[in-house]
Order: sequence, then structure tokens, then C-alpha cells
Amino acid sequence: MTPTLSIRGLSKTFQGQRALIDVDLDVEPGEIRALVGENGCGKSTLIKILAGFHQPDGGKVAVAGVPMVLGDASAADAAGLRFVHQDLGLVASLDTIDNLALGHGYTLGRDRRIHWKREARSARAALSALGYHLDVRKPVGGLSISERTAVAIARALSPHRSEPTMLVLDEPTANLPAAEADRLFALVRTVRERGVAVLFVSHHFDEVFAVADAVTVLRDGRLVDTRPVQGLSERNLVELVVGRALESHSVDPAAVATAEVALEVRELSGAIVHDLNIDLHAGEVVGVAGITGSGREELAGMLFGGLARSGTVRVCAEVVPPQRPDRSIAAGMGLVPAERHANAAFLSASLRENVTMVDLRRNIVAGLLRRKRESSDTRLWLDRLSVKPTQPEAVMSALSGGNQQKVVLARWLRQQPRVLVLDDPTQGVDIGAKTEIHALIDAAASQGTAVLVLSSDHEELARLCHRVLVLRSGAVVDEIRSPALSAGHLTASTIGNLQAS
Amino acid sequence: MNASTPAVAQEPVLSLEEDAAAEKGTRKLRVRGLGLDRFSGLYVWAGLIVLFGIWMPELFLTSSNARIIAGDEAITAILALGLVIPLAAGVFDLSIAATMGFAAVLVTWYQSHGHNPFVGVVLAILAGTLVGVINGFVVVKLRVDSFIATLGMSSVLAAGAYWVTNGQQIVTGISPDFVKFGTAQWFDIPVPVYYMVVLGGLLWLFLEFRPGGRYLYAVGGNPQAARLAGVRVDRIVWGSMVASATIAGFAGVVLAAKLGTGNPTSGPAYLLPAFSAVFLGATQIKAGRMNVLGTLIAIYLLATGIKGLQLAGAPVFLNDLFNGLALILAVALSARSKRKV
Repeated sequence: MTPTLSIRGLSKTFQGQRALIDVDLDVEPGEIRALVGENGCGKSTLIKILAGFHQPDGGKVAVAGVPMVLGDASAADAAGLRFVHQDLGLVASLDTIDNLALGHGYTLGRDRRIHWKREARSARAALSALGYHLDVRKPVGGLSISERTAVAIARALSPHRSEPTMLVLDEPTANLPAAEADRLFALVRTVRERGVAVLFVSHHFDEVFAVADAVTVLRDGRLVDTRPVQGLSERNLVELVVGRALESHSVDPAAVATAEVALEVRELSGAIVHDLNIDLHAGEVVGVAGITGSGREELAGMLFGGLARSGTVRVCAEVVPPQRPDRSIAAGMGLVPAERHANAAFLSASLRENVTMVDLRRNIVAGLLRRKRESSDTRLWLDRLSVKPTQPEAVMSALSGGNQQKVVLARWLRQQPRVLVLDDPTQGVDIGAKTEIHALIDAAASQGTAVLVLSSDHEELARLCHRVLVLRSGAVVDEIRSPALSAGHLTASTIGNLQAS
Repeated sequence: MNASTPAVAQEPVLSLEEDAAAEKGTRKLRVRGLGLDRFSGLYVWAGLIVLFGIWMPELFLTSSNARIIAGDEAITAILALGLVIPLAAGVFDLSIAATMGFAAVLVTWYQSHGHNPFVGVVLAILAGTLVGVINGFVVVKLRVDSFIATLGMSSVLAAGAYWVTNGQQIVTGISPDFVKFGTAQWFDIPVPVYYMVVLGGLLWLFLEFRPGGRYLYAVGGNPQAARLAGVRVDRIVWGSMVASATIAGFAGVVLAAKLGTGNPTSGPAYLLPAFSAVFLGATQIKAGRMNVLGTLIAIYLLATGIKGLQLAGAPVFLNDLFNGLALILAVALSARSKRKV
């Protein structure tokens, strides 16, 4: 039988870094194939090449035996490859009929007008074929998440330009409650029965076992193995994903256990996180691990006051009110937030303004800000963090991602905070800058700053932390301390079902 | 140009973890390119003066002409300086000209009823402050977009000015001392020019050398990042609207004194020139930022161009045409420099 998707020797390099190395992959018609791997393993690069978003350095892709032109989104569509991404790409204020039409347009009658009854009928038919019976006139924002996913899949599978041959689902269950996920799996099986192959990207290994026929593992840009799910244990899969366990960075937890408590969190609750208690000692580096939707992403904002919360947060015994970042700063807390461009960088401002923003007072003489003092103040920190260029007047947007991140870090290290919260501190940063940022975090901790690192990068957590709290569904389910701390162990614990040894 | 609602960057298609690195090569051009543009307004201004000076030296190159341009534009400049403050914070104040018109009516109406003109001055300025407080409340507390809030407010104020005056110009009972406040000359230069210079100087000091100025730009640049850097964003937004409306109140007082009348329809005509000047000014001196010196250069650049063409016999509608085109051009220029980021 001709495979639906056949990939041979696919490679891709970004800025000298090899994202995908000589990947071969076959998916049979009607097969549900899971694609798993850690962040940065090359999953998204592979999918983006299939979608025509990236031009690969080399390699061939054939769909149902027909070679496909690469680097062209319309060619991928014509070949019947259909994609549903995590955010689904629906317009919440429009109803199902309109959202379906976003993909292929309305079917017009001979009189060039939209026949709404006919549109509604075909929309209902498309969804009932997937096992969903819903009000197609209701704005999709009012539908449940699995219903919305069904609308997105129905749109992807519409045969308007070509018959769909393969459906690629990119982490479709990231925000889905368990019961809704079950409905989605039933839907995926319905799609398979039409003879459409499904490539299913997921971080949740229990889902892989629930729905997939076979699983392909990527690690560091290489295809590690493809195994049938039958006969595979979750532990085997974790080992495949993580590879060898990495030896942890040497830290001495005994030295900090007796230090004073710098951050005390009691019964912290938010949208996902509930009743969380954390004690963070001066000089301690504590990590928080957890998959998307575990509550890890909201934790930093809640602690610092960017997001609403209930519960108590104390910095060195002083209670900090919620929703007041300024009060958190005054109490000695600092936050390097995730998504630097949205939350931290002033892109059109100078490095001087970016670094000094949190505390302008120290460069005021006789009531006025002194440019020269600010410049030398900034230069000191740019030097210390080896930001390039070391020019206080350089515009933030002209810097590379790694250097921008270091500028944001400089803003907070300059404060010598008692508590420093780092949310994904090496996001979009090259490996050299990453190493430097890690060393800076070590140095801050050794000077008595209590550091909380939230990261999806488990090697990073294993490298930096004395101990790591593992979040699942908004609660701490595990705490892994230094001797037992490894990236593999963390990955296993965040995914769940595996009892940490 | 940034509206007050912080837009959340949504990646519509695929998450672009690797692509951020690929983009950085294109970013580097920016610093150098704008260095040349920074003073282009001054060159154009000088060019206009030379051009009209050669064209019609006996009409254009006279000290009285220079004085007329300086004096006529001082009120627009004061209003534009007030407008710099909210726009720097990414907030619109479309009610600024209506506030000015309302204050002008109020200060003359008060005198025409036989009251002390200087109490009237204080009341008119405070009325401006009150308008700003209400604008700020609507934007910060009721979460109405500043564009809509101040558009509505300008209509309310226009109605208020009509109500106070019954639609008539107030021409009687205006104190001669009050009129001097807008028409006196020191060293042959009309007093509004001095007001403009003093206000410009104070605002420049504030924007460049006070933390408050830095916070304004931070909120205008990235409100979410400003909040997470400890800036009280709501206060800054509210304060900027109070400041602009108060300055508009002052501008209204100067306008009434200069004209010697209270005209309920005088305000709105000042809106577009003020916006044009601030946006054009943002392409000058400190490119990409609303700033004092750039705004003043833009005001006088536009005024010189318009005056020169009027002396050459161009029709009256030229004024509106020039200001409108300048506004569009200025925003297009700043959009272009933003795209380079």
C-alpha cells in the first residue's frame, strides 16, 4: 500500500543550528500517528515544513505517492495536508457557518447571494459526520472547547480545494479537560475511518496511548524511533523521549535549607492553580515544572501581581497585596516574565531606559534625572552581563533575542532583589546566551537572592535548581530534590502516571 | 501609533520559536537611518524660508511677518504641547480643542456678567482640569477607549459652549486688562509666544528629566511591560488626560484674551493643526516619540509654509489642506519607521 505521507531525508538548519536532521517518516492511510518529543526536538519545524511555511535544506516529501513541492503552503493544501493548530484559528464572535466559510468561502447561488439555509444544512452535515450535533448559528465562543476543536477540524477537512489526505493536529488537547479530550479522541477515530491519516502532536503521553496506533519520537532534530503503541509502556516512551538521563549540576542544598524564608506563599489560587504553598529560602534556587495547562504559566504573574489571585504572598515576612507589581517591587521582588516582547521589553526605547526603568530614583540629582549617571549605571550592568552592544543608547529592538533577555535580566539584577521570579528565562535565546544567563542566576543566588525558576525546559531546571516542584492540574504533585534531580525524571513526573522513584 | 488598548500579540499560524532568530539580521539598520531624518524638519523649514524669501522678499522677509507667524501659532502650539502628554502615553485626547473653546467661552461669559476677570481665568482653567478628570475616569474606570471617550466629550463640550453663550459671541463686558493677557507685546513679541516658550520648557524638563516623563513613554511604548516594571499605568493615563485638558483650559483663556471675544465655535478648528504638529513632531529630534522640540518645529514649519503660500495668493482652504496632508504624511512616516523594528 502506498503510504499517505512519505518523508525522506528531511533536514533544516536555522542560523547554524540543526533543527531537523535527515528525517525519514512514513504514515499509512487511516493511521493515527503520534509525534512526540521535548521542546525544541524539531516537531514544530517538521510540521512547518509540511505546511509549506519553511523551505527545508534537503529532503523529499510525497503524499499518496505524489511528490510535493516544498516551501509552498498552497501545494501542501492541494496535496490534501490539513492542519489544526493549538489556537484553532476560529473567530469567537462568528458562528459555525461563518467560521467554516473562513476556510473556503460561502457557496453562492446562481443569483450571487449566500443561501443561509443551505449553508446551515451543510455546516450541520459536516459536523454530524464528526459526531457533533450543535447549533451552527451560535457564536463559536459559546461552544465547549471540544466542540470548537470539532469546528476547526470540520473546516480543515472540507473538500473544497482537494480531498483531504492527512490531518495534522498540533497539540489539540493542550487546554482540554479530560471528558472533552475523550470526545476529541472519538472524533479523531471518525476521521481515520474516512481513510484520512492523522498526525497527532502531543505532550500528554496518556493521550498517545489512548488514541494513536503508533508513535514517532524526535530528539534533538533526529528521528529516534517509531514504535507501535501496542506493547509499549509509558516508561519506555519517556526513555525514548528523554534519551539518556543527564547528570545534574552540582549544587549544595544543605547550605540553603537553614537560611531565612524569603518568599512565603500560602493557599495561592488562581484560574488553574489552587491552594499552593511555597517556601523559598534566601539563596535557594527552586524550579517549577509542569506541562502547558498545569498552572505553571500563570504562577509568575500571580505571585508578582500581574494576574488576579487569592491567598497570601509574603516577601521577607511582609505581606504583598495582589495586583500591585509596584508593591511587589518595593517589597524586594523581581520578575523576568515570559514572552519578553509583550511583557518586558520597551522595544523602541534605549537600553538605558530599559535597564533603569524599575528604579529611576538613584540617578536623580536635585530633582532631575541625570543622563550621564544613568549611562554609566547602565554600562556597568551591560558589561556585567556582557550584553552586546555595550552601548546604553542603543535601541532595544536592534538587539538579538538573547541580548534583549539579558537587558531585562539586568533590569532586575540591578535591584538586587530578595526574591527573583524567572518565567521561562531562556526563551528564544541561543545556547551561548543561555549558558551565560544560567551562570548569572547561580551568581544571584549565591549572593542571597531567592530564585524561583518556572520553565518548560527540564534540562534547564535540572541544571539550575536545588529542588523542583512539579505542577499538575494546578497542584504540586511532586518535589524532586537535588540528588534525584534530572531532566528525564522531571519529564516523567510532569507527564504523570509514573510514580517518581 | 498605539491605541490605549494593549494588543496581545497572537501568532495566527504556527508558533515561531526558531524564526525569532532568523529575523534579527534585518533589525540593525534602524539606528543609523533615522539619524539623518532627525533634523529633516529644520532643513525643510529653512528651505521654505529661503524659497519664499527669494520669491517675494518684500512681502515675506519682514519682521512683522515673522511676528505674525510667531503670535498666530503660539496658541496652536500651546494646545499641541498639551496634546503631547496623552499621545506620549498612547492615549488620544480628541476633546482638547473643544476644551479650549469651552474655556474661552467660560472666561468671557464670567466677565460679561460683571465678575472679576482673574477669578474667571482660574475658573476656566479649573474647568479644563475637571474635563480631564472626567475623561480619565471614563477611560480608566469605565474602560472606554480614549478615542471614543474624548470624541464624545468634545461633542458634550461643544454643546456646553453653545448653552453658555446661547450660540452668540460674547463681545461685551470683557475687561481690557484681561485682553492684554493675550495681546500685550514684550520686546515686540506677542505674549502668547512667551507662554508657549515657558510651557514648552517646563514640559521638556518633565518629559526628559523627570521619572513621570519616562513613565509616560513607557506606558505609550508597552503598557503591559510598564505595569510589570512597577509603573502605575492607570494613574499615568489618568494624569496625562488631566494635564492635557488643563493646558487646553489655559489655551482657551489665552485665545479669548487674544481675540477679545468668547466664540462658541472657535475651538474645533485647532484640533487638526495640533494633531498634525504632534505627529509630525514625533518624526523629528527624537524619532518615534512625541516630543516638545519636534512639535514646535512642526508647528512653525507648517505655519511658514501656509503663510508663504497665502502671501503668494493661494486660496484660504489651503490651510486645512496643508494640515490634513501633514497629519497623514506624519503618521505614514512613523508607521514606516515602526515597521523597520
